[in-house]
Amino acid sequence: MKQEYNFSRRFFLKTSSALGALAFIPRGVKAFYEDVKNYIIPTKEQIPLKVSINKKSYAIKADTRTTLLDLLREDLNLTGAKKGCDHGQCGACTVHIDGQRVLSCLTLAATLPGKEVTTIEGLANGDQLHPMQEAFIQCDGFQCGYCTPGQIMSAVACVNEGHTKSVAEIKEFMSGNLCRCGAYNGIVESIQKVAAQ
Amino acid sequence: MGFFDEPFDFNIAAEGRVEGIAKVTGAGKYSAEYKVEGLCHAVLVGSTIAAGTIKSINVANAKQVAGVIDIITHLNKPLVPGLADEAKIKEARLGFAVFHTDKIYFKGQPIALVVAETFEDATYAASLITATYEKTEAKVDFKEASNAIPLTSAGKDRGNLSALDSAVQVVEQEYNIKAEVHNPMEMHATIAEWKAPDKLKLFDKNQGVNNVQRTFSKLFAIPVDNIEVISEFVGGGFGSGLRVWPHTLACIMAAKQLNRPVKLMLTRPQMFYSVGYRPAAWQKIKLAANSDGKFIGMHHQAKNGTSVYENFNEGITRVARLIYNFENLKTEAATVPLNLSTPTWMRGPGDCTGDFAIESAIDELSYKLNIDPVALRIKNLALDKNPESGLPWSTNYINECIEKGASMINWSNRKSTPSQLKEGDWSVGYGMAVGAWNAGRGTASAAIQMQRDGSITVQTAMTDIGTGTGISMQNIAHERTGIAKNKIKIELGNSNLPPAPSQGGSNGLSSIGGAVVSATEMLKSKLAEYAASQNDAYKGAAVNDILLSDTGISLKNANNLFISYASIWDKNKLDILEVEASSGPGAERQKYAFCSSAAHFCKVKVNVKTGKVKLERMVTVADGGKIISEKAAANQMSGAAVGGIGMALMEEQLVDEKLDSLVANDFAGYHFPVNADAPIIEVAFINKPDPNINPQGSKGLGEVGIIGTAAAIANAIYNATGKRLRDLPITPDKVLLA
Ligand code: FES
Ligand code: FES
Repeated sequence: MKQEYNFSRRFFLKTSSALGALAFIPRGVKAFYEDVKNYIIPTKEQIPLKVSINKKSYAIKADTRTTLLDLLREDLNLTGAKKGCDHGQCGACTVHIDGQRVLSCLTLAATLPGKEVTTIEGLANGDQLHPMQEAFIQCDGFQCGYCTPGQIMSAVACVNEGHTKSVAEIKEFMSGNLCRCGAYNGIVESIQKVAAQ
Repeated sequence: MGFFDEPFDFNIAAEGRVEGIAKVTGAGKYSAEYKVEGLCHAVLVGSTIAAGTIKSINVANAKQVAGVIDIITHLNKPLVPGLADEAKIKEARLGFAVFHTDKIYFKGQPIALVVAETFEDATYAASLITATYEKTEAKVDFKEASNAIPLTSAGKDRGNLSALDSAVQVVEQEYNIKAEVHNPMEMHATIAEWKAPDKLKLFDKNQGVNNVQRTFSKLFAIPVDNIEVISEFVGGGFGSGLRVWPHTLACIMAAKQLNRPVKLMLTRPQMFYSVGYRPAAWQKIKLAANSDGKFIGMHHQAKNGTSVYENFNEGITRVARLIYNFENLKTEAATVPLNLSTPTWMRGPGDCTGDFAIESAIDELSYKLNIDPVALRIKNLALDKNPESGLPWSTNYINECIEKGASMINWSNRKSTPSQLKEGDWSVGYGMAVGAWNAGRGTASAAIQMQRDGSITVQTAMTDIGTGTGISMQNIAHERTGIAKNKIKIELGNSNLPPAPSQGGSNGLSSIGGAVVSATEMLKSKLAEYAASQNDAYKGAAVNDILLSDTGISLKNANNLFISYASIWDKNKLDILEVEASSGPGAERQKYAFCSSAAHFCKVKVNVKTGKVKLERMVTVADGGKIISEKAAANQMSGAAVGGIGMALMEEQLVDEKLDSLVANDFAGYHFPVNADAPIIEVAFINKPDPNINPQGSKGLGEVGIIGTAAAIANAIYNATGKRLRDLPITPDKVLLA
């Protein structure tokens, strides 16, 4: 099964505009393009990067195709951000970049220099849990815990953004973070609790 | 190896789950997250046809990709002793043995595994692999294929169906449910490492480490103890982790071939055809009653989809024999082989599907009879004994669930005629349904290790898939020993720990609870034995008379006999005191029948212009025996209700008959409820212990939370609109077209 997501992102970026144009080109040409594509094996490129994560700076060499999520999980052993889809459809990989909630699976590592990334591992203040982390424990805002780091990063942003005026508003602004365990009761309660502080 | 391996020294006042800090800080390690030296990354390649034979696989392009180490196919796989010949493959009962056949049974079936230095390399190389096939005809259309399959009897007939002909009211209808997919948020993943030619270490996502251990011990012909399976944190399962699936074997084979640790995580699209799903189902119900509402009988027929390489029977009609008295009953079933992967148990397996049809039919009957659906159910409940086995229920408070739920939702506000309540473009209605589940128990073991300072660690191999097993074990140990909760550590999800059944079928806590109780009793006796050397009064002391505290042991009514742990440790030169106990079901299973049950009530709003259904309120009341951990139990119930909302309104695995395949198999195409799709779920428990099921008196809750939810919602939609919808999911188009 040849599916788009299976192609390298770099390759996809390079060729997507060409592909767009191909939509208007006769079938034979498209097939030819498909053939050619299989014979050009792009060599992988690694670029030196300086990134700042949880206020710690890292000088690394990263594959140009590497997402922030894979950089965190595979290269830096910061596995708090979760991979739930790798497609920007679930929110499990939510981190903060310069204070804004962002899907790390849709963010290329190469775009990070000059920005500050905060992951769930950087949320607590020393040995003091972030109030949202405490609230999630108290309100049992999780079951399996896999969506939880993403929920908490989104929840912190949701409060900062001021979208906590009603249960309906919290639910709306937390709907980019799926929880298959359905721990939504506790998630909403946690946010209400922190918003009220 | 436990939750506390990483030093967590957060100042935390909050009381929560034992693994709470690990989960909210991101420190807890799920299976793909362990750091393993020399790890390489694997990506599966699936077939592009649904039926036929592989002619050739072109891996040449993929091999050129920098970083690629090897590509495994059926042509170059390593030897797996348990799959060495056709007979052994059959015996292994794996469904299909990955890379051991050139036959294709469904689209997406793994045909190759690329292993590379990085995930990016492997993913890119996988995209370059192509294959040629000899195609044969594929069947993926459940509806079309099921017509040709005859029904056969599913259980003993009761009475005679001809009695239904004399009934005053009869409902005879068909019900259809589309396939649903578990989709736990953590995609299934394995890290396999061969520590020696006959020693295997697995970090694996599953619901039962001992099951995984046994399976690979047989396949690789190595002793069970040579396989360590670690599943400390499991990112949900809902049934998908109860079997051992092809990708795990593929990963282990790759690790063997390369003699390097290999990590394989399924992609989300692969999750839809790699680890089971709730099969599509057709049902027909004929339900008959007297004018006073007494059920005369039921005819329940059901078919569910399965794969062409394995027969999976859901047991859809099982629930027909659990909740109500039917003097006359006939159940029939069939499975429909399709060129799709094999389905498996998904939360409330079988019963969830069957219950939807029965509870919808009862609702329909209630309108015909003009009897309140609550009253109609109460009248027909099999309250004293299991209608099938005839054994008396140990406990069954389903009637109390119904009464409590009705009062919580203000059932009296419901109109007995449909489409009476309007709010602008919205029609408002109330609905209810019940569910039940045979409450089981398996044999499990637990160990307790005590330190000189009186702190204990309770251990079991059982996994906690989010159900709250850990916190419940802590609660039971605390209640039985009196030792403070912050001095009780829990370790689980590791096959080196005392064995336990898989976490599934609502059996987890029911099974492990007894083992924890037994272990605490052993601990008490053991301590008393040591204490007896200091004071004779402890000799042969009864377990119930032995009291433990944070610092020492004493005897009931004899507090002055306090002996500190420290002195016991010192006198006996103890390092750690360790006990291990097993506990399981016994003779009570011959005397009683056991069930958990729940009643679900909801208030819905249906938009008459768009067909959108909104849950205004959802109330769920359960009889789960004694509730061990209130918050975790409520979380289970509300989470299951959310799952039920998905089943009722949105979950549907689309299958395209022209492409012979699943389509829209990702979270953009497959919808389950997001936060805004669910109201705050209101949960209550009857909370009366079952004195016979296990020592702690708790009955499992995982399944009953979802069994009946979909029917309650469909019934409420009828009450709101007068539209009876018998096909799930009830999407807006169906509402508008009805
Ligand atoms: S993993 Fe990034 S949104 Fe799902
Ligand atoms: S807690 Fe399991 S997915 Fe949210």
